[in-house]
Amino acid sequence: MPDSAQAPAQVGGVIHDLGYRGYDGPRLGRAQIVRALTWHSFRSAFGIGRGIKGKVVPALAFIAMCLPALVNAFAVARGSQRLFGYDVYTPALRVAVVIVFIAAQAPELVSRDLRSHVLPLYFCRPLRRGDYPLAKYLAMTAALLILVEIPLLILYVGTIASAKNGSAVWSETRALIPGLGVGLMYAVLMAAVGLVLASFTGRRAYSTGIVAISCILTFFLSLLLIQAEGGQSATATGARVAGLFSPFTIIDGVRVWLGGNAQTGLVADPGRFGPLYGVLAVVLLAACLGGLAARYRKVSQS
Amino acid sequence: MPSIKAPRGDAGQAGRADDAGRAGAVIETTMLTKVYPGNVTALDALTVSVAPGVTGLVGANGAGKSTLIKILLGLVPPTRGQAKVLGHDCETSGETIRTLLGYMPEHDCLPPDVTATEFVTHLGRISGLPPTVAKERAAESLRHVGLHEERYRLIGTYSTGMKQRVKLAQALVGAPRLMLLDEPTNGLDPTGRTAMLELIGRIGAEFGISIVVASHLLGEIERICDHLVAIDAGRLLRADSITSFTQASQVLAVEVEEGLAQLQAALAARGLAATPQASTSHGVAGQAGSAPGRTLLVPLGGDDTYDVVRDCVAALALPLCRLEQRRHQVEELFRDEEEVPHA
Repeated sequence: MPDSAQAPAQVGGVIHDLGYRGYDGPRLGRAQIVRALTWHSFRSAFGIGRGIKGKVVPALAFIAMCLPALVNAFAVARGSQRLFGYDVYTPALRVAVVIVFIAAQAPELVSRDLRSHVLPLYFCRPLRRGDYPLAKYLAMTAALLILVEIPLLILYVGTIASAKNGSAVWSETRALIPGLGVGLMYAVLMAAVGLVLASFTGRRAYSTGIVAISCILTFFLSLLLIQAEGGQSATATGARVAGLFSPFTIIDGVRVWLGGNAQTGLVADPGRFGPLYGVLAVVLLAACLGGLAARYRKVSQS
Repeated sequence: MPSIKAPRGDAGQAGRADDAGRAGAVIETTMLTKVYPGNVTALDALTVSVAPGVTGLVGANGAGKSTLIKILLGLVPPTRGQAKVLGHDCETSGETIRTLLGYMPEHDCLPPDVTATEFVTHLGRISGLPPTVAKERAAESLRHVGLHEERYRLIGTYSTGMKQRVKLAQALVGAPRLMLLDEPTNGLDPTGRTAMLELIGRIGAEFGISIVVASHLLGEIERICDHLVAIDAGRLLRADSITSFTQASQVLAVEVEEGLAQLQAALAARGLAATPQASTSHGVAGQAGSAPGRTLLVPLGGDDTYDVVRDCVAALALPLCRLEQRRHQVEELFRDEEEVPHA
């Protein structure tokens, strides 16, 4: 019979050697939580923390992107010229590999969570509605940046390693900066496009298909139109606006509009339609991000 | 005083009662109404207050349990009314509330291709724990739910019972002060159900975490609950402590060999409304040994009821076979309450 005098002593001094311990220490703020989710998603974009299967596609894509740069760096070391401009580093290869990477990895980031209904577990934690898509977008953008910028850096390092004097290094650096800028455009825009398309469905095969088909179809549509209007050197209005029909050619149009070399890219010189490419790129980005946010606003309530 | 009120007077219980004295209700709703588009009323002016401890939230499917939980998590804004969790308003302080809550959803919500440790650690980080703390707590939570050995296996290889445990562990990992468990025994076999309920009961009693368990299986959760909140069609049916539920329902069965009518009259004269036990009554179905024609049911008011019955039986010199206290299953109470408006 425990009397009332003993009861308070029990409150503070329960002895369970394997018992439960609470946590009263500091907690991370929302920004840090978003960062943790971003980092987690970024890792999974490269298959880190996944099985071997998850690593195959990102690894192959990364190797495919870097190989030409490596070869070129060796070639430069043996006295040849740099073969590719930084801002047009194998455009066709870049498009193909970027499509494969996005089609495979955007579903990894978003469809997987939809498929296994993990989202309620995120939204019952101290995140706001927009935080989840934001983290996913940042992660995908970062992953794409790694994919498209590392080859450029390899090319750059390989080239300046054989540079004869300071001015050569300086001119290489000046050539590199627009290249990095184009890569940034790719990453920023294509991450949004890929994620919003992938988030339509939790079925991974479908969402991979949706991303791949929409990117490839629009890309070939634009290329065909450009060819039909007289190719990349044409100056007809038709050829100038033909690039507006796919994200990749829009990016290339913006590149040319901002002063890039028109002869080595994907599109004809947009000329006076240049600003249109710029506006469309921004509109497309905004639409995709808006769509992504709207998608998860709906999910979080269901 | 606490020993009278608390049904299970262990240390954790006392700790919570102490907490309750200072913090008051863990959940408070005032005229909470939620109307979904298409004029579907999920909650209808629900006013309820949930005390610390283990609380059962019962109601049929579609009664509004899940909607209530979503509002409490701050995921869905109420149409009208107010809801407070641990003193914070759900509409304005959703984030604060969600750091204090652990939520176990009803449906499957686990990715198959990660290990339990990795998954729970990740969700610990999302709950706002620093990296090392998240790792420690994930391992501990998995140990508490009984998955210590298997924690490095992929979740896809787990049985349903183990998956339910992972779901419970992820609710526990963020060191919550209140846990909302939505149908935690879903899909489990009887043994699994018992184990899960024991686990929840232990978390509530020993870990000092208040728990709200939503279920449509009342008979099941009444075993672990201190309080019950019953809702039906978005309205509050009843909210009370489980002891008061059972007290109100307690009857004394008096079985005599003969003289049933005499005894009934004698008891009526002493102010006790005894009723002969009906053979088809829900309350007695399946109770062994009680003969319908010889048993009186006397509402149990207190200890003096026993004395009155004893005195009456003795005064009439009746052959008494059985005098037993019966506890209605809480389920029947709700059935009665539901039937009242129709009767």
